[in-house]
Amino acid sequence: MSTLRARSPVSYLLALPAALWMLAALIVPTIFIVWVSFWATRTFSLASPLALINYAKFFSRSTYVKLLVDTVQQSLLLMAITLVLGYCIAYFIVVKVRRPQLQLWLFLLLVVPFWTSALIRTIAWIPFLGVTGVINQALLFLGVVDQPVSAFLYSLTGITLAQVSFYTLLATGPVAYTLRNVPPSLREAAQCLKATPLHVFWRITFPLTLPGVVIGQILVFLNVMADFATASAIGGNKYAFLGNLVILLYDSGQLPFASVIAVLLMLCMLGGVAVLLKMVDIRRLGVA
Amino acid sequence: MAEHDLELKHVTKRFGTFVAVNDLSLVVEPGQFICLLGPSGCGKTTTLRLIAGLEEADAGEIRIAGARVNATPPWQRDIAMMFQDFALFPHMTVERQVGFGLEMLKRRKDEIRRRVREILTTFEIAPLAARKPDTLSGGQRQRVALARALITEPRILLLDEPIGSLDFSLREAVMLELKDVQRRLGISFVWVTHDQNEAFSLGDRVVVMNHARIEQVGRPEEIFERPRTRFVATFVQGHNVLDGAVESVEGEQVRVRTPVGGFVVPARELPPPPPGTTVSFSVRAELLTERPGPEHGNRVRATCHAVEYLGSVRRYDLRLPDGRSVKYEQFAAAAARIAEGAEVTLGWRPDEGVLHLPADGRT
Amino acid sequence: MIDWRTRQTLVTGALGAVTVLFLAYQWLPMLTMALLSFTGPDGGPTFPMRGVSLHWYRELARVQMVDDFKPPMFRSLVLALACSVTTAALALAAAQAIRARFRGSNPFFYLVLLGIMAPGLLVGFGVAVVTRILGIPLAWYTTTFAVHVVWTLPFGFLTLLAAFNRFDVRLEEAALTLGANRWRAFWRVTFPLVLPGVIGAGLFGFTLSYDEFARSLFSTGSEQTLPLVIFAQFDRQLQPTLYAIGTVTTVVSLVTVALFSLLYRIVRQRTRTLANETT
Repeated sequence: MSTLRARSPVSYLLALPAALWMLAALIVPTIFIVWVSFWATRTFSLASPLALINYAKFFSRSTYVKLLVDTVQQSLLLMAITLVLGYCIAYFIVVKVRRPQLQLWLFLLLVVPFWTSALIRTIAWIPFLGVTGVINQALLFLGVVDQPVSAFLYSLTGITLAQVSFYTLLATGPVAYTLRNVPPSLREAAQCLKATPLHVFWRITFPLTLPGVVIGQILVFLNVMADFATASAIGGNKYAFLGNLVILLYDSGQLPFASVIAVLLMLCMLGGVAVLLKMVDIRRLGVA
Repeated sequence: MAEHDLELKHVTKRFGTFVAVNDLSLVVEPGQFICLLGPSGCGKTTTLRLIAGLEEADAGEIRIAGARVNATPPWQRDIAMMFQDFALFPHMTVERQVGFGLEMLKRRKDEIRRRVREILTTFEIAPLAARKPDTLSGGQRQRVALARALITEPRILLLDEPIGSLDFSLREAVMLELKDVQRRLGISFVWVTHDQNEAFSLGDRVVVMNHARIEQVGRPEEIFERPRTRFVATFVQGHNVLDGAVESVEGEQVRVRTPVGGFVVPARELPPPPPGTTVSFSVRAELLTERPGPEHGNRVRATCHAVEYLGSVRRYDLRLPDGRSVKYEQFAAAAARIAEGAEVTLGWRPDEGVLHLPADGRT
Repeated sequence: MIDWRTRQTLVTGALGAVTVLFLAYQWLPMLTMALLSFTGPDGGPTFPMRGVSLHWYRELARVQMVDDFKPPMFRSLVLALACSVTTAALALAAAQAIRARFRGSNPFFYLVLLGIMAPGLLVGFGVAVVTRILGIPLAWYTTTFAVHVVWTLPFGFLTLLAAFNRFDVRLEEAALTLGANRWRAFWRVTFPLVLPGVIGAGLFGFTLSYDEFARSLFSTGSEQTLPLVIFAQFDRQLQPTLYAIGTVTTVVSLVTVALFSLLYRIVRQRTRTLANETT
């Protein structure tokens, strides 16, 4: 018994505002995007007939398809990097650090940037990567190279470097959460059953944190797929992913084609999430 | 001469400035059932973890089967451990986890399957083979934990309060089962508990610990009939402890003066303490009588404060003139009741008291 | 063969090095930007710094610049505040509703969480399409506000769900058995105890909205929010003024987080002492 009876009508009333908000601002726009993607016109016209012509336009040009492949590739790359990096960091902070004070500070240092503007952080990378930037100055100073490396800014390397700094946190958080829920006595029990530290990790710890790993990967995947700001700021005009294309088309008024890209982006994301979710049930994490 | 299964020599373990285990020495012979008994924080669990290798000793030597294991990690020691919360792997079926130890030892798959089946049948949990731990009851989990630990045929099994989390009704049955298993297998058990009943009914030998040290080691009867220190007498139920100072010593007999009178206590194996030493001694509740005869040389006056009916025994809470509480146990069938508020004279024989080791400055 | 203890130490050391290096990697760009914002009047957007001064901050405050940055900053703050309050309220209602396990609470849970999964680009674009079709004008206090809440609500929701998870139902039951009706029991017992969670939800609402860029890109009209203005400026030219405003806005974010955390700790301390006093 609580302040709310099970299944009471009041609960529906309480849930209504949030539900309506999400429906109106999220679901309805999605439906509209799908509708517009089937418009057989180039620009905005409510009286458009519906056809697959804009989809055909996308798949007929190899540059567009390549863009899709590039975007997916970049996401997979980031997923791999953040998986390893994120797990190492989470494992260190949660398992290896003994003092709770230190744990807290490390965690804060990791998470606080999330509460600052992603845009600012992206812009902050520019002075880092450029020919006169910090990385090059450091390399020159250390004598590693005798000429500044121009391959950082306006390059895929630069974009990847920046994205790693933004998105690793997304992979670390969920892993840290699931790691905390693995009682140390389980590890100790395995040790007393002749398991070496490597076996303890691989057979006990890692499997039990798999839900966190998968959720982290999903978050990274979704974010990188739709990332346009990093590419445009750090890649200059040389690089683009699907997200940049959407903005370009929107700015030039080609709404139907932009919607096609958006729908394809959504499909990729849904597909990826479905694959990853086969491995875990979110509600079992004890949140609800 | 067979080597000891376990030997702890002057082992010390510190956590920062806190000394958890202080200069502890202990020997366990093959096939013995040892209980480490003591209150929370006395160091019994830390001792167990030192034997397992989950903690490293700061000083002293730990030997298992004669070999020094101080630098050996847990997975290379010939031990197995049962944890208080059982620590079953939530993501593995019963079959998988019971076979886990053998997998780590790189045994062949068919051998593992056979051994697992055998041990599950022995413990009567074969039908549970495909189940996961969260679907099992407390008693079932305990058996899985036991099977998992014993399948590797360890030299010593370490148990950390293994029945504490079970329902009260189950505990007795599980206790007897575990004692039976130990006797059949013939391996040494080191069992940690704070429950005196557990320790006394299970252990061949009981090690009473307090504040990082061993207070007394002995068979349950020894501990109960001859508590060596004041702590043991107060920790183990059924003793009355009196404090005083040595008045005089006549051969084996020590005369002690206390606020409520003078008493004679035999010194036995203890060196008779010089007059003036602060001492304590105890006398068991069931050895008192409220109708002292000439043979009951030690006498004291007391007032009945309360009485508890415990079935076949009446336990009285009597108050001495200085307010101290004394427990007196009377077999109900026998004598007449002492009324509440009534004054009685309690007596006991001079040879029934037990002198304690004088405190050496540590509590 | 290395001793197992040495191996363990090496592993710990390696993991620690990775962690520390990554944290430096994550923070250095921002710290560099902050440093560069103090460059002298002759300084450019990159190193080397030509002197140290508050020149660019003064540029920010100049009349021209004020027109550029101050109104958008104001709009961003107001929007963030509105988002904060709305998120806290809606999340509280939603979390309380979930406790009743009404029919459809499972899909409802996922519907709310969808807000985290949906990337800003798509949500913003979607709203742009809808407003275009329905003829709704874009404005920071209507369409942008709606889109921001979609993003912040799931965070607030998860925070409050965690708060309710930690909450002991028996306290409510005790209040009910003592004669309080459900309404009063909620406000006098439940609400004060989950208040830290409400504050957490409010924090998410504020900071995430204040910094939000992608979603605002499509849904804001001519009156822009601060991140949009920064982006526009960045597109035109990269000057240390941009670093100055970037530093200022980051400091605002950090101070907000600190204030909210302080508030959170004060409230938790108060409820804990109250609980200790009454038990």
